[in-house]
Amino acid sequence: MADHQNHSDQTPPLIEARGVRKTYSFGAVPVEVLTGADLIVHPGEWVAVLGSSGSGKSTLLHLLGGLDRPDKNGGEILFDGQPISVSHGKRLDGYRNKDIGFVFQFYHLLPELSVFENAMLPGMVGNWMTNRSEARKSASKLLDSFGLSHRLAHRPGQLSGGERQRVAIARALVNSPRVLLADEPTGNLDAKTGEGILDLLAQRHANGLTLIMVTHDPAVAARATRVVKLANGCVVQSSPSE
Amino acid sequence: MCVAMVVTVVSVMTGFLDMLKNSGRQIVGDVIVSSGIAGLPYSDEFLVDLKGLKDVQGATPLIDTIGLLRMPYPRGNQKEVAHVQVWAVDPISLATVTDYANDLYWKPAENAAAALAMAEDDPRKNLSEKILTDGKTLIQSKTGNPGIALGIHVSIGNERQRDGSYRPRYGWFMPENDVTLTVVPVSSQGKIAEPREQIFPVVNEVQTGIYEVDHNRIYIPLKEGQRLLRLDEAPLYDLNAEPDAQGRYPVIGKTPARVTKILVRAKQGVSANSLRAQVETAYASFSKRINADLTRNAVMPDYVNVLTWEQQLRDLIAPVEKEREMMRVLFSLIYLVCAGLILSIFWSIVVEKTRDIGILRSVGASRLGVMWIFLRYGLVIGVLGSALGVLLAWLVVRNINAIHEAIGSDAPPTIWIGSFVLTGFFAIGLLYSIWRGKLLRILLWLLATLVMGLIATFLALHHGTLIWDPSVYYFTSVPDQVDWITAWTTAIGGVVFSVIGAAIPASKAADIDPVEALRYG
Repeated sequence: MADHQNHSDQTPPLIEARGVRKTYSFGAVPVEVLTGADLIVHPGEWVAVLGSSGSGKSTLLHLLGGLDRPDKNGGEILFDGQPISVSHGKRLDGYRNKDIGFVFQFYHLLPELSVFENAMLPGMVGNWMTNRSEARKSASKLLDSFGLSHRLAHRPGQLSGGERQRVAIARALVNSPRVLLADEPTGNLDAKTGEGILDLLAQRHANGLTLIMVTHDPAVAARATRVVKLANGCVVQSSPSE
Repeated sequence: MCVAMVVTVVSVMTGFLDMLKNSGRQIVGDVIVSSGIAGLPYSDEFLVDLKGLKDVQGATPLIDTIGLLRMPYPRGNQKEVAHVQVWAVDPISLATVTDYANDLYWKPAENAAAALAMAEDDPRKNLSEKILTDGKTLIQSKTGNPGIALGIHVSIGNERQRDGSYRPRYGWFMPENDVTLTVVPVSSQGKIAEPREQIFPVVNEVQTGIYEVDHNRIYIPLKEGQRLLRLDEAPLYDLNAEPDAQGRYPVIGKTPARVTKILVRAKQGVSANSLRAQVETAYASFSKRINADLTRNAVMPDYVNVLTWEQQLRDLIAPVEKEREMMRVLFSLIYLVCAGLILSIFWSIVVEKTRDIGILRSVGASRLGVMWIFLRYGLVIGVLGSALGVLLAWLVVRNINAIHEAIGSDAPPTIWIGSFVLTGFFAIGLLYSIWRGKLLRILLWLLATLVMGLIATFLALHHGTLIWDPSVYYFTSVPDQVDWITAWTTAIGGVVFSVIGAAIPASKAADIDPVEALRYG
């Protein structure tokens, strides 16, 4: 089923998946995870992709984020009208570094780096010489606004789950991306801490950030402006959040 | 450590080789002209030609043959006989071509300070200048008789000390004794004539620094050598004429005196090869000139060898060079071990850090960027390791004689007592950790106590292990100059192999699929 969006028909989509198919091979057995998923996300939207385990939510997010590619002749991913699924090397690295930010369920912070270093990581990766001071400023500002200024020198292992996720969000936002991709951002947190994280995302969304969030929890999905249901590898329903 | 080992070993061997080559050149000059047993006639004229060459500093004639030397020991009638290489030389001109005059061992101390530095039982303390003069002229000044100088190890009478000096052994101070030299003249047809012998007073002994030479060679005056070997100037009889009433044939001329070798020394900055070419040309022209005179006969150039000192001493130098290259190759194999070590460590790191690599890719790190992280570490390890290795090698090589001296001496009591005290501290640490019940700490303290205890015991029982015994080896000290060409090439090799070792895991890291890494890492 095509994704029916009602955000604004006049605004060109920011990120778009067109008939995306993705198959993984586990040994000799091919498993088709996405069977032709369509998704259109306009600037400023907060889209929740809701689905059960194995429905292909994370795969769709990885494809949207340029971490993975659709199958050959398996549709395309467009960002700002430009196909990114056929991009290679520097262009795709730049896309992951500048245009989008990733937040993972298990935070995925580098344990050897401090909170501050983790938060400024994309700035250091992009262009070490020119981005470092900018990343430093941006990371400092973000961590301060997330209430982590007293934790800058700490290692991820010394933080609570909620704090780690806030560091991960700061890292995702440090290069001021246009889209934040969040894969079960509250999946590893208790309800109260999860709420705090969703509040933080809502705050960012209110400031104009486009959000695509994957979750299996309808209550979490309800925080988004639009909910997209994924089943059997394709989008089966798209409706405004209640 | 690999770099330090290679640089240290090759530097010492290169130093040894340089010393050997330097000594070799000092004993035979730059170019050696030699012919068969019949010798080179008219050598005086050829020497004049040689001295006229612009690149020649000096030239000297000599006869090189073998002989038997009857020693003055043991006491009684039955004496020991040594087979020797006899060099009949003109000592004055020999000193301009070789280091002969400096190599004379028995000489008085140069000054009062040097005399004070000598041990009490060192005979040089009480020597007069005469012994040195006698050695330089090969004439015993006391009697005016021709003398003989022996290589320092020809007789058993010299015992080498740790500091490289010698003491008379069994009371045999050779310059106070006579020896009998027997040589066998050989005709130009290769026929052996009646052996001839002569008693020579030993005027001095010679230390070139090369054991093979010092063990075999003796020096006698050229005239004596020519006479004993029948290579001196002699009347030429007409054997086809009728003998006179006394049975003597009429004299129709003279056969010239001959020598078997001429040593030539190049001026400073002139290569031996360049001088060899000049000497070859000079001999060809000399031979042509002599043979143009029908009454005279020079050896044809085809039968004369003109060699550089390196060619002449090839048998001595080549084995050492081969040994050095073998050592270089063997030790360089360590590079492969280093590269393998870095490869396996980095491979483990890549496997361990798969998830982190996925994270880096997710925030925009390129494949080359990920690869560079590991290559950079390999480079840093290589550069730091090589720099530290060269530094360590430099410290060891520059201080190798002091280190050798320390190993060769008793450990100072303060050191081994200090080591036992340290062992005691470690033992207290061990007891404390046993009381605390921490297994790892117990093991570490136990190891520290045992190792320190062993070191302390070794030091207490150590009474000097002389590795480079000057009484055995050619040279009195270990070469202590770093071979910088080897040092740089080894250091660069270390860096290259470290990077090569890191390149494979780095490529694996770059190939990691970020989704897989994040999902399963």
